[in-house]
Order: sequence, then C-alpha cells, then structure tokens
Amino acid sequence: MPLVSAVAASHAPNILLEPGSECEEFMQLHYRMAPQASSSKPSVEVQKKLRQDAEKAFAVLRSDLEAARPDVLIVVANDQFVNFFFNNIPTFFVTLADEVKGQFTRHKFHYKNHKELGRAILRAGMEKGIDFSYGEHVELQHTQVVPLYFLLPEPKIPILPIYVNTWVDPVPTPRRCYQVGELVREVAQQRGERIAILATGGLSHFPGSPRIGEIDTKFDHRLLEIMREGKGRMLADYSLDQLLQAGDSEFLNWMVVLGAVGDIKAGSTFYMPDHIATGWGFVSWKLF
Amino acid sequence: MSSYHLNRFLFDLKMNESVFKEALSDFKGAMSRYDLTAEEKEALSSGDPRKLRPLGAHGMLALYLMRLHPDFRANIYWAQK
Repeated sequence: MPLVSAVAASHAPNILLEPGSECEEFMQLHYRMAPQASSSKPSVEVQKKLRQDAEKAFAVLRSDLEAARPDVLIVVANDQFVNFFFNNIPTFFVTLADEVKGQFTRHKFHYKNHKELGRAILRAGMEKGIDFSYGEHVELQHTQVVPLYFLLPEPKIPILPIYVNTWVDPVPTPRRCYQVGELVREVAQQRGERIAILATGGLSHFPGSPRIGEIDTKFDHRLLEIMREGKGRMLADYSLDQLLQAGDSEFLNWMVVLGAVGDIKAGSTFYMPDHIATGWGFVSWKLF
Repeated sequence: MSSYHLNRFLFDLKMNESVFKEALSDFKGAMSRYDLTAEEKEALSSGDPRKLRPLGAHGMLALYLMRLHPDFRANIYWAQK
C-alpha cells in the first residue's frame, strides 16, 4: 500500500538537552572550533522558548504520524562516527538487526527493527541498481533518537533505520538520495504494512567547522517553500555544492523522503533558527 | 597522505575508554600506539582542535581532543552519541 505518512525533523542535540547549563556546556565544546560564535549565545529564556516551539512542532508531526496508524517507521538519518568510521563508510545502509538500542544522556531507547522491510528494500535496490550496504547491528544515536523522543517515545511499532552518508566527504548527490526515496515508495506500494517515513537532520549548520554559528536562514526558507509547493523533485537538480555551501549536507536525508513523497505538497512546516548553530526545521506531509 | 591514524586516535578518545584513560595518564604513550607523524603529534600535544583540521582531521573528531582538557572532561557531550 502507498506510504501512509512522511515527516522530517532536525536532530540537533540541543533540542533535547535541557535549556541552560546542559545546552551551554554542550555549545562550549563546539565553540572551541570557532570562538567567535560564542558571542551569539541566547539567554536561557530564549532557549526555553525554542524548546517549547520545537515541542509544538513535534506535536503536529506526531499527531499526523499517529493519525496515519503506521505499522512501521523508516528512519532516514546519518551516522556520526558511532557505527561507521574511515575504515568503512557506506553511502547508503539498511539495518537488518532484530532490535536497535541507543542512549542519549539519561534517555534510553529500544525498538524492534523491521528487518523484513529492510530486506525487501535491499532486494529491490539490487534489482534497480541501488546497491545498499547492510548489517545486523547498529547503535542508535542522537541523529535518530532526538526526533524519536518526541515522535515515538514508546516503542509501539518497529522502526527501520536507513543511513545516508552526509558526514564524510564524498557524500551522495541530492538526485541519488531522491532516487533512493523513489525506491522506498515503490517497495511500500508492494507491501501490506502501513509504512511511514521520517528523515532527520539539518537544516543549515556547520558542525566541527570554523563556520559553526552561521545559519543560512534564506536558503532554509527556500527549501521549505519548495516543499510546501510540492516541488521536491526540483531539489534533485540542486548541486551538492549548493547544499554544502549553505550547511545543509544533512538535507540529503530529507531528499530521500522527498523522493518517497514525490509531488505531494508539505502540509505543515516549521522553522526556528536556534541562534547557536542550527536552523531547526520540521515538516509533515499528509499522504492520506 | 592519509589522516586515518590521526582520526582513529581522536575517535578512540571518545569511543574507547581504555585509550581515553591511558591518554589521560600518559599522552605520549597513548599516541605511540598509533602511526602518527611528528606534525600530528605536535598538533595533538598543543590541545587545540583547530590545529588538527588542516592536517586532515574531521572537524567533529578534532573536538574529541577536548575530552582530555580538565574543563571539558565532564562535559555532557560525552554522555551522548
């Protein structure tokens, strides 16, 4: 059956860290790469407001997701040196584990993994020329669990982590990620389960770079506008340079969801730059 | 030249507790277990992550060096992945 729901959300750790000391401690570390960025530090009140706004956005996404009654949630995210290192960096990776676990500060996460769906995507990819890597064990990290904390806090349904390399050069093109999404849509149509998909990451930010603290809000607004117009297909024509210059490498995860939803217009979009490092973005597509 | 060993050492400072503990007590000894150049060892010894990027360290891995700094040893960054 067709995909029942699609959502996309930032996974910035400071969304889930407590406003105040936790957030500030975290950012102090990042500012060691770019001391000038620390001058834009928002007050605790501003941090609290950001957290509240993010919670409101997540509530809309969660409501749309739950209304679609999915049997499984595909989670498209990037690894950040937890499962993959320079000895082996898969461009696209499908998880074939029985279960997946992870921890973020005091929060623990444990989900069943829908490996049958994973295997179906793998096989379909092989037939269509998209040769995924795969493996039977991964550890979840903030790139998955920050959005899952708000969207699927109880493991009521299994998930299926799919990884896109957005983290280590060279990364795949926007077009290739879009094609992966088209493949997921085709597989979903042939399956009996009600399948939902979540992409995480972004929007504009420059982790580990001297440019940390810069947020290209203009570029991010344009991405959201294009999604509202249902023209995600045209983003497949964007060059990698366009995304990377704007600090939107993790938008490659979102490109998979754009391929999965095709020309359907985004229903709800939210955007809030965190004044620290990242333009937080949240989007939901109603597919039913 | 590959920066694999530099990145590997940085990675292990966060992900491998025994490497982290050895680096705390004997930084030179910990570095000696990796195939690092003199330039890489000097940059690592400076304690400044900004000196590692020009040598090919991934920007986020470069920040892992801060785990050895007394002001950052208990940072919440190490309690999440």
